[in-house]
Amino acid sequence: MVFMFHLELIFNVMTDFIYKYRWIIIILCLLTGAVSLLVIPKTKVDPEMRNYIPQSIESRIETDKIESEFGVQDLVIIMFTDDNIFQTNNLNQIKAIDKSISIISGVSSRISPFTVKSISSAEGMMTVDPLIKGIPADTTELKHLGKSILENRFARGIVVSSDLTTASITATINNSVAEKTTLHEIDSVINSNPGGTKITKGGLPYIRQSILKDVSKDGVILIPVSLIIMIVILKLNLRSWRNVIMPFSVVVLTTAFSIALIPLLGWKISIITLLVPVILIAVANNYGIYLVARFQELGKLHPGTPKKELIRTLMKSLNMPILFSGLTTVAGVLGLLTHSIIPARQVGLLAAAGVSVALLMSLFLIPALILVSGAGLISKKGTGDKKSLIEKILSRLSGLIINYPGRILLVSAVVILFLSSGIILLKINTNQENYFSRKHPIRQASAIINSKFGGSQSISVMIKGDIKDPEIMRRIDILTLGIEQEKGVGNVFSISQVMREMSKAIYTSNEQGYNTIPDTREAIAQMFELYNMSGSPDDFKQLTDLDNTRAHILIRMSEPENDIINSVKSKISELTSNFPAEVSVGGYALIMADFAQSIIKGQISSLLFAIITVFLLLSLIFRSFKGGLIGSIPLIASIMILFGIMGYSGIALDAATALLSSIMIGVGVDFTIQYIWCFNIQITSGLSYPEATVSSMKTIGRSIIINAFSVMAGFSALIFSGFTSIRFFGYLVIISIGSCLIGALVIIPAFLMKYKPGFIGFETENKKFRKNEKESTIVGVTTAAFTSSSATA
Amino acid sequence: MNKSRDLSITGSFSANINLTITEKSGSMRNRVISMTSKSYPDGLEKRFIRFIEPADIRGTSMLVFDNKNIADEMWIYLPALKKTRRIVTSEKGKSFMSSEFSNADMASPSVSDFIHRHLDNSGANNLWIIESTPVNEVKADEYGYSKKISYVSTKNNQVQKMEYYNFDNDLFKVIEIKSIFPLTDGKFMVKDMVASNLATSRKSQILFTNINEGIKIEDSYFTVQNLER
Repeated sequence: MVFMFHLELIFNVMTDFIYKYRWIIIILCLLTGAVSLLVIPKTKVDPEMRNYIPQSIESRIETDKIESEFGVQDLVIIMFTDDNIFQTNNLNQIKAIDKSISIISGVSSRISPFTVKSISSAEGMMTVDPLIKGIPADTTELKHLGKSILENRFARGIVVSSDLTTASITATINNSVAEKTTLHEIDSVINSNPGGTKITKGGLPYIRQSILKDVSKDGVILIPVSLIIMIVILKLNLRSWRNVIMPFSVVVLTTAFSIALIPLLGWKISIITLLVPVILIAVANNYGIYLVARFQELGKLHPGTPKKELIRTLMKSLNMPILFSGLTTVAGVLGLLTHSIIPARQVGLLAAAGVSVALLMSLFLIPALILVSGAGLISKKGTGDKKSLIEKILSRLSGLIINYPGRILLVSAVVILFLSSGIILLKINTNQENYFSRKHPIRQASAIINSKFGGSQSISVMIKGDIKDPEIMRRIDILTLGIEQEKGVGNVFSISQVMREMSKAIYTSNEQGYNTIPDTREAIAQMFELYNMSGSPDDFKQLTDLDNTRAHILIRMSEPENDIINSVKSKISELTSNFPAEVSVGGYALIMADFAQSIIKGQISSLLFAIITVFLLLSLIFRSFKGGLIGSIPLIASIMILFGIMGYSGIALDAATALLSSIMIGVGVDFTIQYIWCFNIQITSGLSYPEATVSSMKTIGRSIIINAFSVMAGFSALIFSGFTSIRFFGYLVIISIGSCLIGALVIIPAFLMKYKPGFIGFETENKKFRKNEKESTIVGVTTAAFTSSSATA
Repeated sequence: MNKSRDLSITGSFSANINLTITEKSGSMRNRVISMTSKSYPDGLEKRFIRFIEPADIRGTSMLVFDNKNIADEMWIYLPALKKTRRIVTSEKGKSFMSSEFSNADMASPSVSDFIHRHLDNSGANNLWIIESTPVNEVKADEYGYSKKISYVSTKNNQVQKMEYYNFDNDLFKVIEIKSIFPLTDGKFMVKDMVASNLATSRKSQILFTNINEGIKIEDSYFTVQNLER
């Protein structure tokens, strides 16, 4: 009673406060929105996936260390394709573009058919010359050139594909100029040198550029689409535009507030942050719909009552399940704070802040708006006695649940087990290329790079020591040869390969030193010097530093999938054990493999956090651990089904889909809470289990379905995203909420019917309110207590 | 430019060269070599180079024939491998011993490979400012730049600074002559020069010491057999 008294007091105080300061509340909320709108343009996009994982992760530390010595290893790859690339006009076009790219200040180095050297030896003469000295004009010479390229290990599959259909210019870019400027200059060069080849551009800088463009494009499409969907839903639920504007303003203000938090907290938008506005638009309207609809209902019940008194009654009718509904949503998304992926934590915090603000604004702004708005809020249209399709389905469903609860549970268990068995097929994918659809130019470029040019993602191994030491050079050679044999490895670039090629130029094939690593320090030093005399120092500045104290082995991955990367990483560890120098292993591909590990760890930690928190909340709501456990069943089943479907359909866990389970918990648990709470009211009011099932289905069941479909509709905007991963998120979140819905309206009712658990029959504050009000039948009470929809839809 | 070139053409000389390459990060690499050079009337220049420092390349020797109209010829002897190899290259713009200097910078300039013209303000402040543009694209590719601007003293026709422009007409390399060594015949040779690469922020310095001018060197000194001694 004391608790009830406190609640009543709080709601009275709240009503008086809102009445007194209604204009200030409205102005404050509008100001918050205006400030947010001013801040939003300052939001920046971060297309760099390596920033998704904390800087303290080993692969990031090691990569930074290697890049501080050998520069950023981000490659821009420009490919020229024709039936036969060895045609005079094609080579002229490539040469012109190559020459222009060479002088772009953002480009540190490049490898092209015109930079590759030919080291050859004949009759005691070593020749180091450009592979293409002049562009031949006749077919025979062109064929000869093609043949010599295929025989050159530094050209085949690096600057010209083995099938001679594609040539490439690979440029390493530096940080001295903004990446955007460098790419713009490269694009200008390409555009001003048209020719007969089809030009494709790829590599991480271009992937980042596409992400930047597509994130902005997605923002422009997704937010308006989801807002339009939400307006349609609100209009269907609340009928008049004046009613629609109130919850809609909460949605808009909340979404603007959350997006504005991004620059205010010093964060940047990542691909997955795009989910925040859509989550909020889909979820934030619930409380507003409830309040407006409840107000309409009260208005109909008490015609002529002043608005202030109606608001007071409205406040009193704010019951615990609604507050718990908000709390569980916040708890679910806050689970993401335990995630090791940085944007996942950000999404968790932004969504939690947004939902909390939506709840607060709904509680204060909507009553204030009702108070200042004129008459006409209350619809005069009745709901009608005609049975809707939903009601017919629910009626049949309750009949089945009452008669066959055991069989329903058995069938459900079999379906859950079958669907969740797909978990064993679940894969993790952090390959950025897969964010784009197969038809996207970036994806097509990546396919060519991976199949013809050794891959655009790389692993780097840095050896710190005396590189001229023959033992160290020999171990580098063993490492290089070992890695070259690994599955998924495209090209390996190492100083030991240069040593071997040099030895081929110095010795004849029947001499001992041919194609070997020299066995004295002096011999290695002198071979370096020999190359310095004949080639350019820039030729292998990516492979060893000026004073030969560091060597860099660059491994390009043609299959940048996580399991393959991890297997190569293990091979590197094996080949570098007891290495006579300091070894650092890094590179973008490795960061992505660590990212995959982060996704798994983050998935487990956020799931555990959310499940435990929701379990505790449910136990508190139902005043029973057993109740908490039973309430968690649909949630756990839905998570298993989600991962199972992902496994069967081949949708991998990635940065975006890894957030699904937490968001699903946050949103989907509401349905179970609402059903059990309502069912309990029916039981404590004296109904039998079958009667309570029929009654609950008829009232809350209908509302839950409408609520679930409105959330699903909100999330459906995601299927318009340009990113495959976000689209998959859209499909999967709809499936997840669908499975939570089935869990709440099939499994839970059947479970309660079959086992009649002891926690049912707990006293609710809500029920006491209703008893005091004595205003309606049990059906009316429960309907009004939970949702708007029964009164309005 | 002809006057300046004539002044810098030396007959024969020997000297030690200290080459220092400094990276942007400050890390350095030093090479000490001894060089003997002989110029011929037809423009041919022969150079014999032996490495003194660092120890692991001591004894490595090079013989260079810097031809004016045909590709340069170069032989290198590697004592640790006991092998001599001939290196053929046509690129005058290629780096000299991994430094910022090119092979062309190490030789007397070939005036006929360029079209020269005075720029505005040439002659002011006692400096001729002369632009040299390769005569054709082939020469431009060979030298590796689109134009060079030389700052030459009006008093003694000595080059003080050279600026090199890439094919986008952006300045990418500057060579500054820090000091010269006057020869007895009124000519001079560069003693200390620094090349700065603006793209990589790398600097290379060449310092000549122990200069012996006008020495008589037999042609037989510049042979492959002598390399291996």
